[in-house]
This record gives sequence, structure tokens and C-alpha cells, in this order.
Amino acid sequence: MAIIEISGLTKSFGELRALDDVSLSLEKGQIIGLLGPNGSGKTTLIKILNGLLQPTAGSVSINGMAPGVGSKKIVAYLPDRNALPDYMDAKKLMDMYQDFFEDFDRERAEAMIRDLGIDMKQTMKKMSKGTKEKLQLCLVMARQAQVYLLDEPIGGVDPATRDYILRTIISNYNEDAVVIISTHLISDIESVLDDVIFIKEGKIVLHRAADDIREEKGESIDGLFREVFKC
Amino acid sequence: MLAKLLKYELPAMGRKLLPLYAAWAVTAVFLGIGTQSSASKTDFIAVMSILLYTAIATAIVVMSVIMIVQRYSRSLLGEEAYFNQTLPVSAAAHIGNKLISATVWISVTALVALLTGFLILIGMGFIVGFDSFKAEYIDIPKGFWGLSFEMIILIIASIVKSVMQIYAAVTIGHQAQNHTTLASIGAYITVLVFEGSAGRIVMGMIPSMTKLIYGAEELYGPDGILNFTGIFIPALLTTAALSAIYFFICKYLMEKRLNLA
Repeated sequence: MAIIEISGLTKSFGELRALDDVSLSLEKGQIIGLLGPNGSGKTTLIKILNGLLQPTAGSVSINGMAPGVGSKKIVAYLPDRNALPDYMDAKKLMDMYQDFFEDFDRERAEAMIRDLGIDMKQTMKKMSKGTKEKLQLCLVMARQAQVYLLDEPIGGVDPATRDYILRTIISNYNEDAVVIISTHLISDIESVLDDVIFIKEGKIVLHRAADDIREEKGESIDGLFREVFKC
Repeated sequence: MLAKLLKYELPAMGRKLLPLYAAWAVTAVFLGIGTQSSASKTDFIAVMSILLYTAIATAIVVMSVIMIVQRYSRSLLGEEAYFNQTLPVSAAAHIGNKLISATVWISVTALVALLTGFLILIGMGFIVGFDSFKAEYIDIPKGFWGLSFEMIILIIASIVKSVMQIYAAVTIGHQAQNHTTLASIGAYITVLVFEGSAGRIVMGMIPSMTKLIYGAEELYGPDGILNFTGIFIPALLTTAALSAIYFFICKYLMEKRLNLA
């Protein structure tokens, strides 16, 4: 059974149609790349799955639930911006995650924060943009969630950290979870992807297994992306 | 979940407001002492001190209100909403959390205002100790405590209503895709007009409500003084009803119409 079902999803902002009749069925046990250029509708789709935007038409369900308190218990979301309170340090943020998310693994979070050399006592306000992103990712990936929605997780970090993040995502991968990574930095992540969704001007233009694309098209996902989204 | 939210919300407000309160108290003491120790203790210095104190107190109260509004707006409808709105917490708990925290901190602000008022009077030498103050100023009339209790309840209910009124305006304003601050101000004015109209209707009903609740024929006693107890329950019910309306507006918009920019 699919853990995420999206049916006829449309989202308009005035005249602009950010998502146009999108339908998807996503199974557990996969790492899925949600790939498209800027403004293609990736973030809008992820925000609707999190209940941060309301659809104009259509519906979404996560494990049979509409976005709400129930779905938020099983979804770990990494937004494309810093959303954590800036007066808190890593320790206080871990306390908060532990209080609100039953699936939060504090030991894992502490290990990741140590590995990335983040000062536990430094407040978010004093951290660099990259460090904030790393800390946010540590907290999200330390959850044993069933759905991970990662919006541009590698956009603002250095290549060494990128590798660490991708290793972390792979190590979290299990048969009960689905990981959706939204990005346009395809060459960095294509090696970890099981499934690929191309989104263009709010429409799904391709949804295939990563291996099938490589075998049938005889090119990398990055190569196919450049071909499909050629300006 | 509400208790968990409050665990983080109350200190978050406190870390900004407590230093302001401390500065307020210190200013009050210095103003009082300065006035007392001045070589010529004139009415002019006393008036200036009171004016300065009033200006500082007004600034702090305005800042407190701005912080309370900003906290709601940023946490639930702004950047931090990308975290807070993905917590497994209902919209009602989120709004309740902000409301309780705001009510607590506004009440504390009022208490600090009273306390600093006393401090300035002590500093000026008008009050030597509580006993002398009590002997000089307090002549407790019959029914004072009952009336005070009713007034405190009504003041707290009014704070709750005013906070919910602002929250409703901010939430309605965020329905606009652009210029949300302007839209919130517009929504606030609309809410005030609505409340003014509703208030006039309710005021017209109060005598009959009083008669219904207390069996009293008149709102005014034989001495011509307003029978406060007579309007307490109608006023409380009206304030509670308005608070509930604003609460459900916020809850509905947050559950069904949330669209974070």
C-alpha cells in the first residue's frame, strides 16, 4: 500500500498555477528525488503534504490521513529555510524535539551534531547559515519517521557535509520509511535515488525508477534532467 | 500538548519582558529617590518625575503588546511556523498556548505597573511602610473584596478578549497574499466596528439580562450608584462570547485556510 497518495492536486496563487492536476502514489522503502528547476512546484507540493498550504483542488493523504496532527507524528520535515527559534541552542532544540516527537532518537542526534562539529551551547542566532542548516538536518534525520520530506537539504552546505548528509539519509533508509528529497543539484544525489519524479511548471513530466532511466535512456539522471529542462 | 507548548512559550516571552520589567522597577526607584533628595522638593520636580515615569511605563506597555503580537505572528504565521505548524499539535492548542502566555504576561505587566507605582511613592517618601499606608489610605468599605474579585475576573476576561481580537485580526490579515500587516490592521478595524455594533445591542439587553439573572429591576441602586454586581455576569458572558468567536475564527483559518508564504 502506498504511504503517500496524491490525487488531482492543484494549487493556484491568483493567476499562477503552481501545481496542476498532480497525481502520485508513493510506496515505502524508497529514496525519491523530486527534481525540477526553480519555481517548478517542488516546495509547494512538500508544503501541501505538511499542511502548510491548502490545495485549491484535489487531495493528499499520508498513511491514509489528511495532513493534520496524526500525519505530523509520522512526517519529518526539513524546510528550505531556517525555521527554528533563534534564541535556542542545540541542547534546547533537542529537548523540544524530544518533548514533541515520540520517534526522536536523542543519542543519534547528539552523535550527528558531534560529527558535524556543532557547538551544543551556541544559539541559532550566532550560528552561520550553513551550521543552522546542518543542525536542522540533524534534528530531522534523528527522528525514526515514516516519511521524510527534505526540501533542498544540500543546497547551502559544503561538499564534505553534503557527503555526510547523503550518508546519513542512506543510513536512515529502511523498509518502513520513504524519503523525498527535493533539489535541483541532481549530480550530487542521483547515486542514492531509487525513484525519480521530474516536475515542470506544476506538472509531473516523469515518474520512473532511477535504474530504469539509466538502462532505457542510457544516460544519467543529471543528463536526462538537462535534456528535459533545457532552456 | 498544551502544557508542553507553554513550557517553551512562557520563558520565550519572559526572556524579552523580564529585563524590561527590571529596568522599569529600577527607573521607578531612582525617580522616587531623585525627587526626594532634590534640594528643593518642588511640585515641578514631582510632576516631571511622574510624567517621565508615565512615558517609560507607556513605552514598556506598548513594547509588551508589540512583542505579544509579533510572537503570535512569527510563530504561527511567519518563518517559525515552518517548524511550529509541523509539530503534532492541534490549532486550538497552538492558539490556547499563545493566549494563555499573552494573558499571563499582560497581567504581570499590570502588576509590575502597580509595584513600580508603589516604589516611586516609597522613593518620594510618601509611604514609609505598608502599615502607615494602610492606616492612611485604606478604609475598606463593606463588599470591597467581593467587588474587587468581580472586577479582577472581568479585567482578565477583557484581556483575553482583547488578545483574541488582535490574534483574529492578524490571522485574517494573513489570508492576504501580500501586504499582510496592512490587511491585519484593516481586519482589526473591521473587528472593532463589529464589536462596537454587537456591544450596542448587548448594552440594550443588559437591563433585561440583569432582571433575568438577579431579579433586579434597576441597574442603579437607590443611591444612584451603578450596581456593578448587576452587570457583572452579563458583561462576563458577552466578553466570553466574543473571545470564543475570535478563537474559532483563528482556529478555522489555521486548520482550513493556512497558506504560509
